[in-house]
Amino acid sequence: MKNGHDFLIITNNPLVERCLGEYYSVEMFEEASYRDILVKVRDLVYASHTLYTHPLSGSVKPNETPYKSVVVSKVPHTFDPGEAEIIAYCIEAFDKFKPRGITLTDPVKRDFQLIDYTLICGAVDFDAAAGLSKIK
Amino acid sequence: MKLELGFIEIKDIQFSNECKVENGTLFVDAEAVKAFVYEDDDVKAYVKSACFDIAKPGESVRITPVKDVIEPRVKVEGPGGQFPGVIAKVDTVGSGRTHVLRGMAIVTAGKIVGFQEGIIDMSGPGAEYTPFSKLNNLVMVCEPVEGVHQHDYERAVRIAGLRAATFVGELGRNVTPDEVQSFETYGIKEGIEKFPTLPRVAYVHMLQSQGLLHDTYVYGVDAKRTLTTILYPTETMDGAIISGNCVSACDKNTTYHHQNNPVVADLFEQHGKTLNYVCNIITNENVYLADKQRSSDWSAKLCRLLDLDGVIVSQEGFGNPDTDLIMNTKKIEQMGVKTTIITDEYAGQDGKSQSLADADPLADAVVTGGNANEVIVLPPMEKVIGTLNYVDVIAGGHAGSLREDGSIEAELQVITGATNEMGFNRLSAR
Repeated sequence: MKNGHDFLIITNNPLVERCLGEYYSVEMFEEASYRDILVKVRDLVYASHTLYTHPLSGSVKPNETPYKSVVVSKVPHTFDPGEAEIIAYCIEAFDKFKPRGITLTDPVKRDFQLIDYTLICGAVDFDAAAGLSKIK
Repeated sequence: MKLELGFIEIKDIQFSNECKVENGTLFVDAEAVKAFVYEDDDVKAYVKSACFDIAKPGESVRITPVKDVIEPRVKVEGPGGQFPGVIAKVDTVGSGRTHVLRGMAIVTAGKIVGFQEGIIDMSGPGAEYTPFSKLNNLVMVCEPVEGVHQHDYERAVRIAGLRAATFVGELGRNVTPDEVQSFETYGIKEGIEKFPTLPRVAYVHMLQSQGLLHDTYVYGVDAKRTLTTILYPTETMDGAIISGNCVSACDKNTTYHHQNNPVVADLFEQHGKTLNYVCNIITNENVYLADKQRSSDWSAKLCRLLDLDGVIVSQEGFGNPDTDLIMNTKKIEQMGVKTTIITDEYAGQDGKSQSLADADPLADAVVTGGNANEVIVLPPMEKVIGTLNYVDVIAGGHAGSLREDGSIEAELQVITGATNEMGFNRLSAR
């Protein structure tokens, strides 16, 4: 588990909030779309917050899963143009996927939440299975 | 390090009450395979059922959702065994002799999550997009016990597939191969002495390593917990790298891809003729940006340390790995080592959008595996092995993808191996 004193998780994934909220600062945007999360992250990066995780984590496509979690720094540090470029590319990449018009069932939503959660756990070096067992 | 591969051509698979390879036919008792698979405690605990079926080239069969594809092999001489650190003990592989049941594969299928991906059509237009339609496939469809955690179940199915491949591979131990080929790379000094005028070339092999359903294992170690390191190419050919990745069907590297990596094959083809194939450099694709920086720094450092003239870089996956790909390429180029990258493209359905989620002017030599957003229509098949329940939900599918007659309209991404980023695919722009 990485030292996460400076971590702020920007997410719309309730599972991330439930499992990681005890250990990290989590800002939950329940109504936000995947794209909304990317834009919030972009604004923070522009405001000199450090981008800690890649915003397009996972090979689950942006028009496939509604859930996205990204780790940035809690406070501004130094503006990094390389990180600004990464988040800009990510929003551009998101926009080329067409909406699929699918209403997801609850089990499928839970699976997408799980994948997003495990990706962010992998990034911050947190034991995903242990986190899940605590909420059961 | 020198490895001999003895290829035993498998032209047919038949269920039987005995297990043997005879005159190019694999006779297999499904119950015997199942019994061997179920000797593993995780499989016993988490896999409720494992049913076998056979799919042959040209048949009207659709296999979905596919988890992994594995080529059965057996180590007949030299140290180690199949899938070291996972099935066999962790001894270093890549030397001695291994027998390969060529022309067939074990395919694992069945639901792991509700958007489980991957289609292999054995005939029709879909078959042209996947190399696995040309193989005789022994398909194992698994079902989970109720309430099992996805982490546990993914691992159990991964192990089940490897165990089935190990069992079947063992049947080739005492069979005389149809063809034997040997592959050898040399130590640094020895290689320079042997090929003093040839350019020194390596393969930077990027491994998917992001999390559940996005992982790769090297000698049993989760690649996200590794630093960039060096392998003999023959270790890769001998089962050192296995896939735990079953998201993004079109461009995931199955275990079969690792065993038959076409970049390794082609570099060996030119080894000693136009180039000196030095080694493989394996590096990961983590989500944490500092990990990306560290891993790509190490890739570049190793390229310099090895005094390479050129490298081929292949990536695995979409989005996040594009950044690793560009970081690797840029830093290696800045060390004075020439790069060529292999990727696929998500260029939109019309092919007009920016293909990758990252770019740099130094990444100016690119080979593409195709546009994964291209829309295709797959006609209905007479038989489905697995289930069509997830087709609407998977990447590349949309509401109504699965039509009433069983045909599917979707993006190329749904097909296992369609735009593989090692170049192990059938798309071409010739």
